[in-house]
Amino acid sequence: MDETKQEHRIGVYVCQCGTNIAKMVDCDGVAGEIADMPGVAISRSYKYMCSNPGQEMIIADIKEHDLDRVVVAACSPHMHELTFRKAVSQADLNPYYLEIANIREQCAWVHEDRGQATAKAKDLTVAAVDRVVYQEALEKMSVDMCPNCLVIGGGIAGMTAALDLADAGGRVYLVERTDHLGGQIAHIALTAPYLDSAREIVEERVTRVMRHPKIDIFFESQLTALDGYVGNFQAAIARKGDGAAQTVDVGSVVVATGYKTFDAARIPHYGYGKLPNVITSLELERMLRAGRVETKEGKPPQYVTLIHCVGSRNLEYHSYCSRVCCMAALKYAHEIKSSVPGAYINDVYIDIHAFGKGHEDLYRRTSEANTLFLMYEKNDLPVIRKADPGDDCDMLIEVNESLSGESIEIPADLVVLMVGMEARDDCRELARLVNISVDKDGWFIESHPKLDPVATTTEGIYIAGACQAPKDIPDSVAQARAAAARIMGRIAHGTIEIDAMYSEIDPDKCSGCRICNALCPYVAIEFDPATHKSHVISALCKACGACVAACPSSAIKARGFTDEQIFAQIEGVLG
Amino acid sequence: MTFEPKIVGFLCNWCSYTGADLAGTSRIHYAPNLRIIRVMCSARIDPTFVIKALAEGADGVLIAGCHPGDCHYSEGNYKTMRRYPLLKKLLRDYGIEEERVRLEWVSASEGHLFADLVNEMTEQVRALGPSPVKSGLALDMAER
Repeated sequence: MDETKQEHRIGVYVCQCGTNIAKMVDCDGVAGEIADMPGVAISRSYKYMCSNPGQEMIIADIKEHDLDRVVVAACSPHMHELTFRKAVSQADLNPYYLEIANIREQCAWVHEDRGQATAKAKDLTVAAVDRVVYQEALEKMSVDMCPNCLVIGGGIAGMTAALDLADAGGRVYLVERTDHLGGQIAHIALTAPYLDSAREIVEERVTRVMRHPKIDIFFESQLTALDGYVGNFQAAIARKGDGAAQTVDVGSVVVATGYKTFDAARIPHYGYGKLPNVITSLELERMLRAGRVETKEGKPPQYVTLIHCVGSRNLEYHSYCSRVCCMAALKYAHEIKSSVPGAYINDVYIDIHAFGKGHEDLYRRTSEANTLFLMYEKNDLPVIRKADPGDDCDMLIEVNESLSGESIEIPADLVVLMVGMEARDDCRELARLVNISVDKDGWFIESHPKLDPVATTTEGIYIAGACQAPKDIPDSVAQARAAAARIMGRIAHGTIEIDAMYSEIDPDKCSGCRICNALCPYVAIEFDPATHKSHVISALCKACGACVAACPSSAIKARGFTDEQIFAQIEGVLG
Repeated sequence: MTFEPKIVGFLCNWCSYTGADLAGTSRIHYAPNLRIIRVMCSARIDPTFVIKALAEGADGVLIAGCHPGDCHYSEGNYKTMRRYPLLKKLLRDYGIEEERVRLEWVSASEGHLFADLVNEMTEQVRALGPSPVKSGLALDMAER
């Protein structure tokens, strides 16, 4: 194998990632040892390989040192493989002559012993060098991009994406589970922080979507199947209770299925469902929209308590912050006061998260408007009990107030539980249908948390709104418009390049046994009775490699993941 | 000197490799004995990869894929699940302890589970001692 390598001129780049990698891995040491490997023409360690100077260094080296292979030992290939492939191709070298060694996520960030971490980083980099010599020049495939789009969910995110896409001229199929548009916003009265009407925001969208000649709406319907690949999907949409599905051709999919509200009955501690005047924020919205805030007895409440973080920021239920409830609670303080003048508002919170534009101002205005703020500890929930007959209130709430350190008892006629957001029950089912992933809480996972927050790991599938994580209206709209813009960019190209990784059958080796035909989940392998051999339809192949491992004649090659490449990597990691 | 086992892990790109990345981004510390090799799907793992790893001196081999039902390629992991017992039987015939080769499911959100798995498997293989392939106790597959 060393002889194979000797013919090559490999450039190796060990990234320090600031101190992220350098803190736990001796990057200079690794680069130094690798420099002595046969075939390695140049081996460097650098502060940030993904930075412009880092990429320029690779490009310059390829030209100057006539490199024919590149290894970057850095973060996960999921982060920057594409970045470095681009850099390599800028130097007129085939982008698939690159291999990444993951020494950050798999090494520097998970080990505590610098010696061991460095040894492992070296093994991984050696394996990448061993592998890269077997890598081949691959060409991407170009396929037509269908300009039609499927949008799943008719809430604010889905409607916004649909409108942007349809305005740009594409046909949009909007699938909505219920019989109306608007999603969760349809249930709220005013929006924070400017207290403007939710109805106005949503009605303009609904009207435009309904009248748009380029948008076809499927009410009470669901996606039942999605076949094909980016640019060329076939989506089956079925009306509820109706077995027959309609199939439409789309090039892209926006998933905007939103969230569901946390069920307050899951926290027995607050007596929701037992104490009649303990209600949820959603029920208060209903009262506010009806223009009447009152207790179950039909009286205007004199004392109202808002309890934050119900189901959120609590390890027993959801550890995350639901992001919108703090501002909603402040908004309620104003709405209740205008509905019931003279009402006393107590706001019982853990922390006030006022991070958005205009949020801090709303917090200040609410504080100035005689709202009493009481802070509680995450693990020390306020206790609600029925008041005694002589008291002038319905309930009493005991709060261990953490700023004063005192136990404070406050009266209440109405308690509003600020229920958080959670992933919809069918999130996993839908994720499977469109082939994307969900995180531990059921939120859809984006392609990159910072650099690519609207794409997913499946090409052509985008996510927008609260189905990705709790989000307020501006963020949902921003994400929806970003998703639409990404799709429009691709439509503008007319064609799209799809990854060059797919399986290939060597007709000289194929015995025509057809084992692979049945194994392929995408029906991408065709058997030609005339030649008695199978072949792969490359555009349909998604490169899983199931056929490769199953072929008894070793006739199938997984481009980018060949047996030779993996064998070399095995030898490399085992030093 | 204590015996430090070498374990080779074949991880599917979509679930397990991403789960391992999550362990990293979450800064969950685990044993440094595993060397990960990425494959697109656990169904790509040819039994010869496992045998090659053992022949090259691995003391253990981990195969990890998406949970049943969650495969990025719909059903690749079911194929892995079917091949695995055949591989185990083969290894048994060659005198290689069953516990050295494991098939596990790790999702993209299970960084903790992944770290626990690596720690647990490292201890398990450490307790078994060096692979019999290395000391020539088992048939030398490398020559076959």
